[in-house]
Amino acid sequence: MPVKVTDILRAGLFGTFAWIKNNRWLLFSMIIWPYLTAFLLIALGMVYGSLETYRERLGVSNPILYILAGSGIVMSSLFIIDTVATTALYHRWLGTLPYLMLTPTRMYKVLVIEPLPGALISSTMGILAVIPGAVYFEGFLGACKLLIVLLLVYMGMLPLIGLSVIVASITLVLREESNVAAFLTPLILLVSGVFYPLEILPQILQYMSRIFPTSYIVEATRMIATYTIPEFRALLIAVYALVALTLIYNGVASIALTGSERMVKRSGVI
Amino acid sequence: MPAAIKAEGLVKKYITWERRGFIRRTKRIVEALKGVSFNVERGEVFGLLGPNGAGKTTTVKIITTLLLPDEGKAEVLGYDVIEEAEKVREVIGVTLSVEKGFFWKLTGRENLKYFGMLRGLKGRELNKRVEYVLKLVGLDELGASDKLYEEYSLGMKARLALARALLHNPPVLILDEPTIGLDPASARTIRELLVRLAREEDKTVLITTHNMFEAELICDHVAIIDKGKIIAYGTVEELKRKAADRISVELLVTIPKNIIDGVEEKIIALLNIMEVALEPVEGGKTRVRIVAKPGEEEYVVEKLVEWFYSNNIRIHQVRVREPSLEDIFIILTRGKGNAS
Repeated sequence: MPVKVTDILRAGLFGTFAWIKNNRWLLFSMIIWPYLTAFLLIALGMVYGSLETYRERLGVSNPILYILAGSGIVMSSLFIIDTVATTALYHRWLGTLPYLMLTPTRMYKVLVIEPLPGALISSTMGILAVIPGAVYFEGFLGACKLLIVLLLVYMGMLPLIGLSVIVASITLVLREESNVAAFLTPLILLVSGVFYPLEILPQILQYMSRIFPTSYIVEATRMIATYTIPEFRALLIAVYALVALTLIYNGVASIALTGSERMVKRSGVI
Repeated sequence: MPAAIKAEGLVKKYITWERRGFIRRTKRIVEALKGVSFNVERGEVFGLLGPNGAGKTTTVKIITTLLLPDEGKAEVLGYDVIEEAEKVREVIGVTLSVEKGFFWKLTGRENLKYFGMLRGLKGRELNKRVEYVLKLVGLDELGASDKLYEEYSLGMKARLALARALLHNPPVLILDEPTIGLDPASARTIRELLVRLAREEDKTVLITTHNMFEAELICDHVAIIDKGKIIAYGTVEELKRKAADRISVELLVTIPKNIIDGVEEKIIALLNIMEVALEPVEGGKTRVRIVAKPGEEEYVVEKLVEWFYSNNIRIHQVRVREPSLEDIFIILTRGKGNAS
């Protein structure tokens, strides 16, 4: 029986829901994570300066909500990278990788599509978890703004998937069980600009931030979170950048994964 | 009608890197397969036998499209494993390891549903197949269908692995050591099921094993692979006939620890025989197995008993019997006999 993309998506969705159902603490930790991160950052930030200083430097009207939303975005991005980029490694550890490869379709389809529902659910949870905070500070409008942020996160997900697949391909080819994503995660945190303005980073890191989609999502969020009418043109630039990154990363990703499939099947490192 | 599985001159070399310090590594080429060829007919249980590292799993991985051969070709139901890999995957059910390969935090039923969806099953058909295979492998009866996989015993894991292989009702089953590490009751259940699937549902079953007892019980044809080459091929009876001129003498003894080293060599020198195998068994005893020519068995037993007494080796049991598949296997894989 030929396997369609929708079959793989359904399997990924079913697996994610069953996993969450059998791990209720996972659901709880997903909800509470942005609040814990935001609390920690605000507490640490207060050592260096007041919220007022933060507000002045970033131009956001509500720093607490901004940091909360930022934590949600970063968490969502990390979930995507973690889910997609480590999928090959995760399945290799579990021993399920050969059975995924035995699906009667191309391996790259399974490795890219199967983790998508999990990544989507996790990233949605990351943003939705912040909604009660937004409602508390800003009422209905705060919730609406977060939903716009969620749309941006979805958009940012596309290039992130490409980037994650490139990482997954490298992981597959490496004979050691190296988690390449573990290197990427702190780098993204560092250059995303979510917790402090990018301007304070060295020039090289500022350039580097341009290759990560998370930076654009955070920038767009900041425009929305200034709680003035966002500069439409600046927002459009962020969207264009995300589209460009989507094309570049996913193009490279499809070549990388096809190549790594061949190498894996030659070397037998399944 | 073409053979269900056909392997022709399969060659596979692996490049391995041996560490010689923290950074330095030496490249080594391991020849896993050196021209493996065999046919598996439709509806039969075929055993690929061999010691550890003989090339069984490499052969299975090539046939199941998980590995590309360097040379040679293989087909499953007429589909080429390289050119028509997706077609091959549609018609095979595979078990590679009974110990892992499932999600620990999902139940047996949930795991099967997940893998069923990856096979294109959906809705009622999916539920029906999942229920059917859970009953077939006996997990339903054990009340384990809705237990988390992490709570499964090895026997349950083996049954679930077989259930997954059967989920999409494939005509060909390829099972890598399906009973390894199982208790005798679980192993027997799996063996009986495999025979039933071949006889009643006309499925072709290829198993790899180094359990000769198992192969003798369920396989219609066997191939013995060693060091990447097929060294014997035929029915169990045909292989046994090749060694019909050999009688197996078995003694169950307790060898004092201070003389256990070198006993094997001493027996070979004492009797000038072809083969001797020492196998530790329960209670600190050792099973000594000797392959002798017909007519020589009495002489062998007499000499051995005499030597054992003089060396304070206690004898518990003496048995003389026809050669088993295990004897053939030992003779062939040690390369000391001429049965092949």
